[in-house]
Amino acid sequence: MEKYEKLEKVGEGTYGKVYKAQDKATGQLVALKKTRLEMDEEGIPPTALREISLLQMLSQSIYIVRLLNVEHAEKNGKPLLYLVFEYLDTDLKKFIDSHRRGPNPRPLPPQVIQSFLYQLCKGVAHCHGHGVLHRDLKPQNLLVDKEKGILKIADLGLGRAFTIPLKSYTHEIVTLWYRAPEVLLGTTHYSTGVDMWSVGCIFAEMVRRQALFPGDSELQQLLHIFRMLGTPNDELWPGVSSLRDWHEYPQWKSQNLARAVPALEPEGVDLLSKMLQFDPASRISAKAAMEHPYFDTLDKSQF
Amino acid sequence: MAANFWTSSHCKQLLDPDEVDVVHPLDRERGITQEEFRLVKIHMSFYIWKLAQQVKVRQRVIATATTYFRRVYTRKSMTEYDPRLVTPTCLYLASKAEESTVQARLLVFYIKKMWPDERYRFEIKDILEMEMKLLEALDYYLVVYHPYRPLLQLLQDANITDLTQCAWGLVNDTYKMDLILIYPPYMIALACIYIASVLKDKDTTAWFEELRADMNVVKNISIEILDFYDTYKIDPQKGLLDEKINPIMNKLPSKA
Repeated sequence: MEKYEKLEKVGEGTYGKVYKAQDKATGQLVALKKTRLEMDEEGIPPTALREISLLQMLSQSIYIVRLLNVEHAEKNGKPLLYLVFEYLDTDLKKFIDSHRRGPNPRPLPPQVIQSFLYQLCKGVAHCHGHGVLHRDLKPQNLLVDKEKGILKIADLGLGRAFTIPLKSYTHEIVTLWYRAPEVLLGTTHYSTGVDMWSVGCIFAEMVRRQALFPGDSELQQLLHIFRMLGTPNDELWPGVSSLRDWHEYPQWKSQNLARAVPALEPEGVDLLSKMLQFDPASRISAKAAMEHPYFDTLDKSQF
Repeated sequence: MAANFWTSSHCKQLLDPDEVDVVHPLDRERGITQEEFRLVKIHMSFYIWKLAQQVKVRQRVIATATTYFRRVYTRKSMTEYDPRLVTPTCLYLASKAEESTVQARLLVFYIKKMWPDERYRFEIKDILEMEMKLLEALDYYLVVYHPYRPLLQLLQDANITDLTQCAWGLVNDTYKMDLILIYPPYMIALACIYIASVLKDKDTTAWFEELRADMNVVKNISIEILDFYDTYKIDPQKGLLDEKINPIMNKLPSKA
C-alpha cells in the first residue's frame, strides 16, 4: 500500500471506508476502498468478493466505475484488501444539491439531464446484459465527472448475478426513495425492473432537484407512489393483490405525471411514465429506453 | 434476459487444450507425471464433491469450486500450493462467490471428521490465508458460467426433457476433467446431450443440424468424455482408490 498516499476520507461504502488517494508513481488520483474484514472467523466478506468479481467483469464499460487494481496488504498481522478505483470528483446527489442550494440555485440544463440519463441507461443495460442487477441505484451511487460530463455507476456491493436458480432475494436492499413497488410489496422474485424503477426516480429527481417519492417508511413510500400514480389493482398490475405485503390502501386516481416534472418536455414525460409502470413486466428495459424518442435530439455517437 | 457468457471474463479466460494439462516445473522436479497430475485433479474433484455433500451446498457451488481449483493449477504448482488445502479453500471461496457462504469452521470440522489422514487437516487460519493467495492466483476473476443452465434450455428446445437426469449427470462428470477451462459451457452441454441421446437411443440428428453448432467441437468434447469414462472407470461414490492416489500425494510436500 506504500504505492498510494491517502489524501482524505471521502465516504463510507457498503462495507468500509473510502479514501481519496494518489498513486505516488504516476500522480493519478484514485479512490481506495478498504474492505472491513471480519478476519478472525470468516475471511474476506462475501459482499466484497462479490463486488470485486462483478466489477472485474463489468468494469470494461466506461459507464461503470473502473476497478484499477486490488491491493493486498497486512495490518497488525491481519490481511486487508484495498480496492483501487478511478477517482471522480463528485456524485449525482452532490451535483443536484449544488444546483438546488448555494449561491447560484438553477435547474440542471436539459441537455445534461438527457446525457446523464442516457449514460445511466447505458451502464444499467451493460449490467443487465451480463446478468447483474444493481439493486441499489440512487444518486449517491452515481459518480460524476463535471468537466467531462460523464456519469458512472458505482457501489455494486449489492449487485448480484441473476443466474438461475432464482431463489428469493433478501429484502431490505434499495434505499426507500428509489425502491420499486414490487420490492415494497414483498415480491419473491425480482428482476431488471427494480433497477429501471430507480432510474425513473433518478430521472425525475434530476428534473425536480428533489426526490419524487421521499418516503420515510415502507408504507409511506408506497403511499407516496400511489398518490402520484394511482392505487394499483389486479387489472392494472396482474397479481398485485396476491403479493405478500399487499393490504387495502386508500383509492387514489393517478395524477398527471407531467405536473410533477413541469420542466420536462413531453417525450421525457413519456419515457418517465414507461419507467414508472407498476407492472415490472411492462416497465421499459434499459436497452429499449436508449432507443426512446426522448434521446432523438442527443448526439449518441459521443457515447 | 440471459447472462452473457460471450462478454464475460470467463469467456476471455478460455484456454487452449495445450495450456491446461501442463505439469508445473516444480512438480516435475518431484517426479509428478502428466498422468499423475490428472489423477490428483480427479481425486480433488471428488474431495470437493464429498465435502460439499457434508456442508450441503448447491451443485453450482461445487462446479464453481472445481473450476477455481483447475484454474489455479494452470498457473501454480502443487508443490507450493498444497492441493489438500487449496481444495477446501476453493469450496469456501466458491460458496461466498455464489452467495451461499459456508463457515470456515464448519469446513474444518467436516474435514477432520472425514479425512483421518493428518496431512489433510487444516485450521481455520490456514484456509483464510490460502483464500487470499487463491484470490491473487485467480486474478480476482470469480464469475464462472456453467453448462447447467444452457443444458436445461437446450433440452427443452429439443423437446427431450426426459434426458435431463442422464445429461445432468454427464455434466457433473465433466468437472472431473478440464473441459470447463477450454470450451464454452453451452458446447459442453451440447456434448452431454449428444452422448445422452445416443445412450438413450433418441434421434436428435435433425435438431443438432438445425442448431448449426460446430459439430466437430461437440463430437470432440463427447469423445473426450467417453475416453475419460473408458480410461478411469471410477467408482462414482468412492472416487480413486487410496493405493492409486497415495503414492502420488506422497511425492508432494505436506505441512507436516
